[in-house]
Order: sequence, then C-alpha cells, then structure tokens
Amino acid sequence: MDYFEPKTINEALALLAKHGAEAKVIAGGTDVMVDIKYKEEPGCLINIKKIPGLGAIRENGGSLRIGALTTIRDLETSGLVRDKLPVLWEASHQFASLQIRNTATIGGNICRASPSGETLTPLLVLDAKAKIAFTDGEKTEPFASFFQGPGKSSVGSKGLLTGIDVPYPAQGSRGVYLKHAVRGAMDIAMVGVAVLITPDAAKTSLQDVRIGLGAVAPTPLRASKTESLLRGKPLTAALVKEAAAMAASEATPISDQRSSAEYRRWIVEALTRRGLEQTWKAATGKEVA
Amino acid sequence: MSITITTTINGKAVSATTEPSMSLLEFLRDTLEYKGTKLCCNTGECGACTVIYNGKPINSCVTLAADANGAEITTIEGLAEGDKLHPVQQAFIDTGAVQCGYCTPGYIMSVKALLDRTKKPTQTDIEEAVSGNICRCTGYAKIVDAIQLAAQKL
Repeated sequence: MDYFEPKTINEALALLAKHGAEAKVIAGGTDVMVDIKYKEEPGCLINIKKIPGLGAIRENGGSLRIGALTTIRDLETSGLVRDKLPVLWEASHQFASLQIRNTATIGGNICRASPSGETLTPLLVLDAKAKIAFTDGEKTEPFASFFQGPGKSSVGSKGLLTGIDVPYPAQGSRGVYLKHAVRGAMDIAMVGVAVLITPDAAKTSLQDVRIGLGAVAPTPLRASKTESLLRGKPLTAALVKEAAAMAASEATPISDQRSSAEYRRWIVEALTRRGLEQTWKAATGKEVA
Repeated sequence: MSITITTTINGKAVSATTEPSMSLLEFLRDTLEYKGTKLCCNTGECGACTVIYNGKPINSCVTLAADANGAEITTIEGLAEGDKLHPVQQAFIDTGAVQCGYCTPGYIMSVKALLDRTKKPTQTDIEEAVSGNICRCTGYAKIVDAIQLAAQKL
C-alpha cells in the first residue's frame, strides 16, 4: 500500500487525480481503519491531517464555517457550536464515545455518507453547504443534493471536502436531535431524527419546519412531504399524529442486524412525534394541544 | 512500502519502521512490544486499546500508527513509578474493580485522562469518561467506586 501525507489541498488533489479510485482519503481514521482491518486495504492511503487550516470553527457572517478536520470533540466543546447550532451540538454530544469523538472528524462523518451518520440529519435540517475542492476550483454543494447513496456523495473520487458552511437557524427557532439505539454510547443509531421548527411571530403556527431522517433510507433525507403538510399550520395533537405517520411513510428502511424495517418505521413515527412536541414547547412555551 | 515513525511513548523518544496500514495499537504491541495495551474488538467500540494521545484518550486500534509521528503517547506502562502504582491503578485494586482484567488498562487510561482534565469529576463526568469502555465482569459499580476513590486520592 502506498502512503502519502500531502501538506496542501492542491497536493492532495494531485494525488487523488493520479491514483483515482484506488486511493482512500483518511483523516481521523475511525471508519477507514476498520475497513483496512476487516475489508481490504486500499492501493493508496492519503492522510490529509497534515494539511494546515482545515480544523477551525469560525463565524462567517450569519453562518459557522467548520473545517473538515474539526473533530467531533472540538464541536462538542465549542461554545460557538453550542450557542449557534444546538442541534449539531446535541448530535456531537451523543456521538460514539469520548475516545472516538477525540479522533473522528466532521469531514469524515460527512464523506462516509452513511445513512446513519450522526451529524448528517442535523446538518440537513440546518441547510448546511459542503465546500469541495477540485483541481478546477472549489464547488459549493447544498446538503440537500450532497448525498447520492451509501458511501457516495458529490465529493466523488476526485474531490476533497475542505469544510462546511452552516447557516444559523432563524431567530426563535428550536431544534432537537433524537437518536434511538440500544447502548447510549458507541452504538450506531437504529433511527436518528432531527427536527427544527420556527414558529410565526405570534407563536401560534409553524412558519418553518424541517425534519431530517437518519438510518432509514440509502441516504439521510429530509421528510419533505411531512414538512409541507406542517408548514403554515398551528401544531395540534391531531396534526402531530398525521405528520408522524407521514414521516414514517417517507422512510424506506431496510432490515438489518440492528432492527427490522417495520420497527424502524415505528421509531420514525415516535421520534418525529416527540421531536415536534418538544420543539413546539421549547419555541412557544406551550404544550401541543 | 514502509514508513519510519518517530514518537514519544511514556516520555521516551522512540523511532521504528512499520507498514503504513498499521494501527497505533499494532505498532505499540507488535513493533514496540508494549503489550499492556489490549487488542479486543479492533473496531473502536470496546475501549480496551485506549491510550492517551497528546493528552486525550483515544482508541489506538482505529488510529493510524503514522499519526504517532511527533505525538506524545502514554500507555498503561507509563503510569507506575517503579514499584509504586499510580493512584488510579491502586484504586482499581483497592475497590475490587478488576476481575478478568482484560479491559482494565483501557479503563485506567480513560480514568487517568479524566482526572488530568478535572480533579473533582461529577457522576456525569465519570460516566461519560468511561462510556466508551466495556467491562463484561464487574457490572461497573466497582469501577465507578474506583474512579471516585482515585479522585479523592489525587
């Protein structure tokens, strides 16, 4: 196996262009190392951790710019993330174990493009944008179109994710990330649901609502039909019930060792209901009636 | 292809040649003969391979050995001073927090890192610090006792 430690983004892109599909990019390594040990060694490993400037979290107007090499622990301990993007903070806090959070990077979690990636549904509801470097320049890809299948994203085999731009949610909005797993720490989510709502000024109806579903389709996805059903309406108990059932129908889960498809749909329904109830109460001070 | 790794382990500078696909755990155990760090799940889920890397607990099984270059690493072998055990090690013995012992080095490194971060850990701090470590023998209660005892002694 060939091994490289590029010192610049351009150097990394040149290596990707040269080695193509046999090259694997590694950052924290918490996923790639497992593949090397249990699946197969890539022909060439490109360790991007020596590229400077990719590990910062900084304010960028109305958004946070988060470098691809930022560790999950950096997110969890960042006052800026906790204050400005609490949904992302929650997912970071629930991410695997302390040992893994100390090494795993946000860029790795995104490029892995796993349907169950812990940070992905929060980033979807936050309307994050991926910054991807290619030899012919940087492209900005909205998360809504970033994921193409398990392990497949707009980064492809020639691009390098350099960071993400995450807009601050609207004033008065509230979000929650709910994860269903057997073991609190370490376990991969059977289902993850992120809900972000913004009530109108009078706090009587939903001005905006975004629901992200994880581990229940080939990619993390937005429950867009459910969002349309809810938008502009007052949140009643009957509407919550209808929306939760619709979210479950938007999921296309598989059965695997973690749970059956049928069980996953029930969990989507339960977590969507809880997510709507909790965010409504947090945003308006009122229980769903 | 082979690569040369120059690193500091338990305060001692070492340099060795290895394969680039090697994990830090394999490098420690098989190349450098630090057998105290344990191989168990090899997927970053059980914590038996926990070492302290630049002050932070990590799973050495899912860390690239090459990332040890220029880093400071502490393993279980680096805690005792001669015959005198580290207070965390002694606390695990005093409270009976060791049964089969296979997970113990990983636990002790997680706890050492916790007590380096905070002298007075809360129950939540303790649970979070070792939530990435699995023990199949003790039922965890005695491990929590050990951590509380170690915090008092330090």
